Amino acid sequence: MLRELIRVIGSGEARRIRLHLAAVLWHAVSQGVVFVLLVPLLRALLRGETDAALRWLAALAVAAVVTGVAYYVQALLGFRTAVAATGALYRRLGDHLGDLPLGWFAAVRLGSLTRLATAGVGEVTVVFAHLVGPLITAVATPLTVLVGMAVFDWRPALAMAATVPVLYAAYRWSTRVLAETDADVDAAIGRSNDRILEFAQRQSVLRAFGGGRAHQDRLDEVLVGQHEAGRRQLRRNSLARGLFGGAVQLSVTFVLAVSALLALGDTADVPQFIALAVLVVRFAEPVSALGDLGGSLRTVKARLAQVREILDVPPLPEPGRPRTPAGSRIELVDVRFRYPGSPTDRFLLDGVNAVIPANGVTALVGPSGSGKTTLTRLIARFWDVDSGSVRIGGVDVRELSAADRTALVAPVFQHVYLFEGTIAENVRLGRPDASDEDVAEAARLARVDEIVHRLPDGWDTRVGEGGAALSGGERQRVSLARAILKRAPVVILDEATAALDSVNEAAITDTVRALAGRCTLLVIAHQLSTVVDADRILVLDGGCVRESGTHQELMAVDGLYRRFWSERDRVGGWRLKSG
Amino acid sequence: MTGHQDGLRSMLRPVRGRITGGVVLQAVATVASLATFVAIHLLALELLRPEVDRGAVWAVVAFAAGALVVRLVAQAVGYQLMHDADIDFQLAVRRRVAAKLGRVPLGWFGARNSATVKKALADDIEAVHYLVAHALPDLTAAVVMPVSALLLLVVFDWRLTLATLVLLPLFAVLFVATGRRGSRQGERMAGAVAGITRAVVEFVQGIAVIKAFGGRDRADNRFHRAIDDYMVAFSAVKGPILKLSATAYALVSPAAMLLSATAAGTVFVALGLVRPIDVLPFVLLGLALTAPLVVITYGPQAFAAARAAAERVDEVLATAELPEPPVSGSPADSRVEFEHVTFGYQEGAPSLRDVGFVLEPGTVTALVGPSGAGKSTTAALLSRFFDPWEGSIRVGGVDLRDLDAAALYASVSFVFQDAGLVTASIADNIRLGRPDAGDDDVRAAAVAARCHDRITALPRGYDSVVGEDAQLSGGEAQRVAIARALLADAPVLVLDEATAFVDPESEAAIYDALSALVAGRTVLFVAHRLHTVTEADQILVLDAGTLVERGTHAELLTHDGVYRRLWQAAEQQGTPTGGRR
Repeated sequence: MLRELIRVIGSGEARRIRLHLAAVLWHAVSQGVVFVLLVPLLRALLRGETDAALRWLAALAVAAVVTGVAYYVQALLGFRTAVAATGALYRRLGDHLGDLPLGWFAAVRLGSLTRLATAGVGEVTVVFAHLVGPLITAVATPLTVLVGMAVFDWRPALAMAATVPVLYAAYRWSTRVLAETDADVDAAIGRSNDRILEFAQRQSVLRAFGGGRAHQDRLDEVLVGQHEAGRRQLRRNSLARGLFGGAVQLSVTFVLAVSALLALGDTADVPQFIALAVLVVRFAEPVSALGDLGGSLRTVKARLAQVREILDVPPLPEPGRPRTPAGSRIELVDVRFRYPGSPTDRFLLDGVNAVIPANGVTALVGPSGSGKTTLTRLIARFWDVDSGSVRIGGVDVRELSAADRTALVAPVFQHVYLFEGTIAENVRLGRPDASDEDVAEAARLARVDEIVHRLPDGWDTRVGEGGAALSGGERQRVSLARAILKRAPVVILDEATAALDSVNEAAITDTVRALAGRCTLLVIAHQLSTVVDADRILVLDGGCVRESGTHQELMAVDGLYRRFWSERDRVGGWRLKSG
Repeated sequence: MTGHQDGLRSMLRPVRGRITGGVVLQAVATVASLATFVAIHLLALELLRPEVDRGAVWAVVAFAAGALVVRLVAQAVGYQLMHDADIDFQLAVRRRVAAKLGRVPLGWFGARNSATVKKALADDIEAVHYLVAHALPDLTAAVVMPVSALLLLVVFDWRLTLATLVLLPLFAVLFVATGRRGSRQGERMAGAVAGITRAVVEFVQGIAVIKAFGGRDRADNRFHRAIDDYMVAFSAVKGPILKLSATAYALVSPAAMLLSATAAGTVFVALGLVRPIDVLPFVLLGLALTAPLVVITYGPQAFAAARAAAERVDEVLATAELPEPPVSGSPADSRVEFEHVTFGYQEGAPSLRDVGFVLEPGTVTALVGPSGAGKSTTAALLSRFFDPWEGSIRVGGVDLRDLDAAALYASVSFVFQDAGLVTASIADNIRLGRPDAGDDDVRAAAVAARCHDRITALPRGYDSVVGEDAQLSGGEAQRVAIARALLADAPVLVLDEATAFVDPESEAAIYDALSALVAGRTVLFVAHRLHTVTEADQILVLDAGTLVERGTHAELLTHDGVYRRLWQAAEQQGTPTGGRR
């Protein structure tokens, strides 16, 4: 596990970690020495040799002070190592996350990732403060005692040594059993948590449709399932704990019995045997502590594995010799792509060929699930294509440097994330050194001025965590202003649709019109006005571009687009009225 | 824990016997664990006699073995009892909480995000488990062990006991000092932890924006600064505490205890105060005096955390339930009346002020207005997610508060933007409102809601489970929700315009499904796009929580008001409207 820890935390802290381990080892061994020194001291006392006893006492005192100092040093080093390792692991995770393909984030559950990146880090690095010490002590101290005992009398030492493999086997077995039942219980807890959460989130529906009772039964089912899993775990845990504890106790009794037998046969050195018996106890104590550490150790191992899993995700490969793009024309050549781990082997995009002209407005339309969002993600290089190529300004996006790519493309997503802070700060993020006039101009184009004007705190309105204080449409407008301020040659807009009211709809339409000619604008269009106004429309269906052209051109042929339009037209004429 | 009737405390009652038994057995096991030490002492006494009595020696060994068996059995049975009580207790708490969730006002959920609910239901109950199953036995051992060891030693020789414990006062002084320091600095620590958490959350959730806007360096800086702050705060706060506590624990460590026991013993022997053999118990049991100090000193933190968790669970259990009328009224028809309704989410800040209107049976009423005007709040009130602060809402002449849940939802049904499907088969989702509905009814509803074809294309058709083998798009889920409402067949229907998530094709299908659904019902329709409302029987225009205009589309356009302005904005934007074609 140590190698694993160093691998995860990074070799930068390896020296510090080794130093801490050395201190822990030092403490464990000198504690063992203190225990061993009990033997000559007690022997001298029992034999009535007070002078010798005082000499041994002095030796023991020295060893005890050394142990105390060692304890202090290892505790401090452990703490410092834990702090340094925490910082290092945060940095490492942060840097790594920053290098991962953005698509990876779309596929993971952000909640659990966040929890792992916050609490998980602490749960790993706490080993240095609270676990490494006791663990090493539990092994190194008994071994020192064993060696020391052999110096005085090899026979009880041999008996003691004989128990070591038994103890080791019992320990391994019990940890394995506990780990197995842990997994079982964790799964049951996961199921019941999901069900409880759903029960809470769906309360309105469940009550309104009277399904509460039936669903409560379903909930109860998983709760009982969790209860059962708990019982199963309990039975095996009792067994496992009992076995290890029993093995330790049995070993002690066994060695004591052997010692008693030896003492009975060899009465000459009773004091030494008594002293050795004391040592047997000191041998067993740290070992039994191992059993209690098992649980914490398992937690750490599980976290460590999760952190490792993230660190093992390969980052997006960066080109060795980046090329500079010429212009902002986008070409898609035979693009094939499917999401990693997708259940089917069918390509979501299966040979997409298209040109998105520079400085025009291109609308992407198609039924849901046709890969519109995926296509824009490939252009922004959230993912790399499986085959074919995506080129901006004649250069494959894989050959662009990260900086060029960032400078080139400004995506505005459906679900916009704003940073905790003011509206002004969020817009300025697009170009921190922009003049106030530029910010005002971007705000005007994205109609953020209207939002700012309406809110009491204006530009200084705090957007809340993730932008929660603004509506979805408002967030997208702020995000658009940010993109405009950035002056990126390529803007990709996934038009917001969620609960968009007329005001927001109008604002975004206006912005799209205002941006025409200023940059290469690719819009996943949900609004008819955007589609009709576009310089070029790409109709995506079944994994490739079926039709392309202007509204007039596409309406002239009897194809997908015209059918889509007439359907839309019918919807546009729909009125809710009493039957 | 608070002491109210239904609190956790009362739920502990049925398992209290087992917990007590577990604690007693743990105490027995702890005392028995000292038997090994006693046995060694007895053995030494026997062996040092001039004439060794072999029988006595073996009797001591037998005593040790017997104590071992007692300890193992007591520990195993105690552990079993304790955990057994614990998992029963957990099940009881989870059931109680689940039942509670089924009875609190629906608005309760809106005021909390799902993470908070989950915390109360899962994490906090887990923390309470720690209290019952681990903290109690650990504490028992930590108290019984030193106390019984101390008793034994005092009986042997109280002077030597005192001498052995010479370092303990020093430990106590240092320990008290650490506690003071710790509580003073706690706030700074909490701030640093919150800072790093915020930085991580922002970094992870905003990663796309960070990368897209070249903010990587700045975000990195912010992130790295939070890490540095955290490390500095951590070192500054915990470092000095650690120096004190490490010194304190070094003073009561096994090595230190052995030193004080042997030093005192040797001196006492040299002075002729005790026999050499009398030192043995102190070397053996001296460690037991201080070994559990770590548990005792760390214990209170864990205890405090578990208690705080218990209080949060208790708080959930103490939430006021939605009052149910003793006898439910029964609505005469599907006429809906809002009378002087005032309501808000925050005290002193009403979202709706003195709103009054009537929905005549079988008519469609549209709610329009700018965002934040109170449209969705009005819809939520009619679904009784909340009760109004003032005024009343009546269906068929009966106040919603005088209807029990069954009667209310037999009258009022709704389709909201969030389709709200549950993890169950599609068929069960559709028949949620009428569990006894036959397959044919379910199918007919699905056909009417334009989702039958999609369902039959699923791997297991109507038996496919939502979220498992039925991965539905937003629009498809919507249509299943409409089928559900169709089958539930309530005369009053609340609709929150549900088309926004979907592509044009789904949108068309949804509109068809909705047309089927509204036929013959009293409908309150929350509209986000104006063009769909032009043929409503009545349009209510809300602005900033007040009902400002009402009438038909034609009537409202005749005078210069909110509606006409909204309509003009929509026209300008170029959404095709009925007027244009």
